[in-house]
Amino acid sequence: MTVFVGKPAPNFTAKAFHNGAFKTVKLEDYRGKWVVLCFYPGDFTYV
Amino acid sequence: MEVLSVSVDSIHSHKVWQETELSKMVEGGVPYPMLSDQGGKIGRLYGVYDEEAGVNVRGRFLIDPDGIIQAMEVLTPPVGRNDAELFRQIKAYQHQRATKEVIPAGWQPGDPTLTPTDKLAGRVWEIWKPRQE
Repeated sequence: MTVFVGKPAPNFTAKAFHNGAFKTVKLEDYRGKWVVLCFYPGDFTYV
Repeated sequence: MEVLSVSVDSIHSHKVWQETELSKMVEGGVPYPMLSDQGGKIGRLYGVYDEEAGVNVRGRFLIDPDGIIQAMEVLTPPVGRNDAELFRQIKAYQHQRATKEVIPAGWQPGDPTLTPTDKLAGRVWEIWKPRQE
């Protein structure tokens, strides 16, 4: 499967840290909202 | 607009990073969920997992309220993103979605947009020109 503009964003479920607590995030729960999904190489790196 | 950040770090690492460093850069820490993608499963789905390095590169995806990817940008690790262009794209896509107008190159919020009718073909120059800087 390849992501492409104009095509559906692949769904996923992930563990997350948010507002001081651990929780589970599902992309499909964000339907109806604009979402910016940002990947980055790692915590504590410089950029 | 909701932000989700994703790296291969554990949620425990995210917690310590937020508490020891990010909270010193941003008052109260970053407000969005920090997702853990250990093993790179999500990164592989989005084509941004570097198998050799074992990390996700800087992929950014703008997803609309219907779950459709409208824009994406991928950078290698050494250079950070620029949020000004991201915000411009979000405003442009939101405007397009609300009005069905099309958005010319270099558009900034408040600039005119174009109504895509057959009458406009070959006559865009009459109402729009690129910025000369």
